[in-house]
Amino acid sequence: MEWFDALVQGILLGGMYAQYALGMALMFGVMRIVNISHGDLVILLSLIGISMATAWGLAPVSVLVILVPLAVLMGWLLQKAVLNKVVGSDPLPSLIATFGLSIALQNLMLQIWSANSRSLPGHGIESQSIEIAGIYVGVLPLIVLAVATGLTWGLDLMLKRTRFGRALRAASADVEAASMTGINPRAVYALATAVAVGILGFAAVFQSLRSTVAPADGPAQLIYAFEAVIIGGMGAVWGAFLGSMVLGIAQAIGFRIDPGFGVLAGHLVFLFVLATRPQGLFGKATT
Amino acid sequence: MSAVTYAAADLPGVQVQRQTSSGRIAMTLALAGIVAVAAMPWWASTGTIRSILVLCCYIAVAQMWNLLAGYAGLVSVGQQAFMGAAGYALFVLAQTFGINPFLAVFLSLLVPAVLAVPLYLLLHRLDGPYFSIGTWVVAEVFRLVCSNLPLVNAGAGMSLRVMKDYSAFERNVAMSLLCAGMLLLTVGGSYWLLRSRYGLALIAMRDNPVAAASQGVNVAKLRFLIYVASAVGCGLAGAIYFMAQLRITPGSAFDPMWANVAIFIVMVGGIGSIEGVLIGALIFFIADRWFGAYGATYFVVLGLMTLLVALYARTGIWGLISRRWDAPWFPIRRKLVDPNRP
Amino acid sequence: MTAVLSTHGLIARYGDFQALYGVDTELHPGEAVALIGANGAGKSTFLRSIMGLLPVAKEMVRLDGEPVGGTATDRMVQKGIAIVPEGRRLFTGMSVEDNLRVAIDQAARIGAKGGWTLARLHKLFPILAEKARSQVQSLSGGQQQMVAIGRALLCQPRVLLCDEISLGLAPKVIREIYAALPEIRAAGTAMIVVEQDVGLAQSASDRLYCMLEGRVTLTGKSGDVTREQIGKAYFGAGHGVV
Repeated sequence: MEWFDALVQGILLGGMYAQYALGMALMFGVMRIVNISHGDLVILLSLIGISMATAWGLAPVSVLVILVPLAVLMGWLLQKAVLNKVVGSDPLPSLIATFGLSIALQNLMLQIWSANSRSLPGHGIESQSIEIAGIYVGVLPLIVLAVATGLTWGLDLMLKRTRFGRALRAASADVEAASMTGINPRAVYALATAVAVGILGFAAVFQSLRSTVAPADGPAQLIYAFEAVIIGGMGAVWGAFLGSMVLGIAQAIGFRIDPGFGVLAGHLVFLFVLATRPQGLFGKATT
Repeated sequence: MSAVTYAAADLPGVQVQRQTSSGRIAMTLALAGIVAVAAMPWWASTGTIRSILVLCCYIAVAQMWNLLAGYAGLVSVGQQAFMGAAGYALFVLAQTFGINPFLAVFLSLLVPAVLAVPLYLLLHRLDGPYFSIGTWVVAEVFRLVCSNLPLVNAGAGMSLRVMKDYSAFERNVAMSLLCAGMLLLTVGGSYWLLRSRYGLALIAMRDNPVAAASQGVNVAKLRFLIYVASAVGCGLAGAIYFMAQLRITPGSAFDPMWANVAIFIVMVGGIGSIEGVLIGALIFFIADRWFGAYGATYFVVLGLMTLLVALYARTGIWGLISRRWDAPWFPIRRKLVDPNRP
Repeated sequence: MTAVLSTHGLIARYGDFQALYGVDTELHPGEAVALIGANGAGKSTFLRSIMGLLPVAKEMVRLDGEPVGGTATDRMVQKGIAIVPEGRRLFTGMSVEDNLRVAIDQAARIGAKGGWTLARLHKLFPILAEKARSQVQSLSGGQQQMVAIGRALLCQPRVLLCDEISLGLAPKVIREIYAALPEIRAAGTAMIVVEQDVGLAQSASDRLYCMLEGRVTLTGKSGDVTREQIGKAYFGAGHGVV
């Protein structure tokens, strides 16, 4: 029973990680860029949300409604001001630029919000739970999983069926050929990053509800997102989702074995997948 | 049709010139600098020795990062894994097993060397940016493992109490010599490497790996060797740093701060050149002295500077300088000079 | 009749290497012009310069008399020029239909008017209907070429640039593809066809230009130009075999 419980908790945790991983998979799939400040953006959004909620007494849903558009705007600005200047075949400038941004953001947050951990007042939802098949499952984690599933499904649909999605896929396949069909790559990238960071708006609310956030937490979230994407298989939206599940389950089981072992268990599973199946569990083997 | 034979012509008496006047000046200054570092106990206070030791560690780690990223094209943000690994190896060998600490410094280098091999095999399949985060994950794994490992006293860390057996002067002499040796090995070693035939291969790899491979450069093998060399260099810096600190904990051993500093130094100074590392280290050292007290704001500025350099001045300060004046401090070009022509 | 597309002293460089040394050309509405020359003559560079894939001075390329040199590629498409690039450059990982839909999307987005629809394209190249759902990389070379041409046509261009569309294809397939060109012309699209096969180029065009080492060495009506003239212009007078 304990192990089944760990499995369930792991899947729920995976829902949280999926919300980090989706944006990263999107940005890497389209632009071959990894935003090192990806995790820090979540923390920034969380802290802004928490400050707003405490100042104006907002409920989590209101915070969500404000944060997601804010996140979309942040992503769009990030692309226009920083990333559009470093898109290209050389990965170094984008790495260094986003790395510098990460350091600057972390310390800016430290300066503004101090090192204290905070969380979003959830008005009780953090502690509600329901009983399913003999185990107690938190309501919040269920919502997180549901939202993650919805976001993944929505993102997948968008990529497959919408004009923007097709343009994105074309740009990631061959950006020069895409411009030859009338696609403006920079505009497409800006929208892609806006979507990727917009998803982080959801992640920000849920992370600050289910746990505390502090300015230095960004790198840890970045690593989880990255591990989920690699485990699942690079570039695929559902791959990122399932990879997040695997990571969550690994961590949950590790946590059951020993509370200090949870995160390490996740790292070890990641390293194992990397060693044995580098294209990811659901990725296609590249020649 | 008969074959036309070419008359054996005399080969022109050209020479290959490796050194420049700027290089000679710089070489003299550099050697003087290293001697000065080795002689620190005789002219500097313990506090100054500590500061200069830390500066030397920054230079060493930055140069190792420079080798990795600037020549091998491997951007690592986890070199602290090797620093901590060697640091811990030193403490375990010297404190737990009673080996002479100064000997232990060299023995500890085996740990990063041995670890680097499987790690590279694991990580090199990852695409550019993912490789970088992978190196970070490795550093985190090391940190978590050490936090739970009884051999290294888990989260509580270790102290290098055996150093009490030596007088302050003896310790200073050893630290100074180790420092000088580290500079010679990392910076001097890099320069020696770049001037050798491996250096040509490295520079070719830096400029265009595909073209280099087409000329017979074994890019994969060279990358691997650079990765291991960089691991050992960082390990040396780590061992020396923590020996001076006298204390090591998982958090300090695998502190990502080292990656931040190395990247800042190399990017601002100028990637792919030794001159850049020295310039960047000097800038960082001065900034750290003057502005370090401002804490978080200081790091915001560092981060923003790194960002701006990556966007607008990718070749760093040395890149901007060398575009105007061709006066390298560590010349690696070969010039053909005909002594008979004016 | 004013030219719909013209180049004036077109100069283009790849870094330090100069590829075009002042190329003057003209394309009139409804015309098909062939561009022939050996490898490295600068034919693809010429097309890429027009499409804004290479930086060129504004005055050097004119569309309807308006200087457009150096305009971004996607803006050139909006202005009514489309290119079938060398090597086809299809979007791998996407289906044939999706590859075509991308062009339809963009044309719709900018409100481009033109007669090319998916249905009309299916009539021109029936294989596109048959293989609509297939991944584009699973098609044969000739079929891929048809997708590439279709994708360019769906941009509703007034001017179509074709870069070596016969490259790597079997003779039968080449005939099939070139058989479609007259219909494209009949729809009112002017064309520049870069082609290494001289005979094919002559038969598919009204006029031709021959290039050598970044310069135009011959121009004239395709029907009037002799093989000897082409030979001299193609290889260069004085580049005889010793």
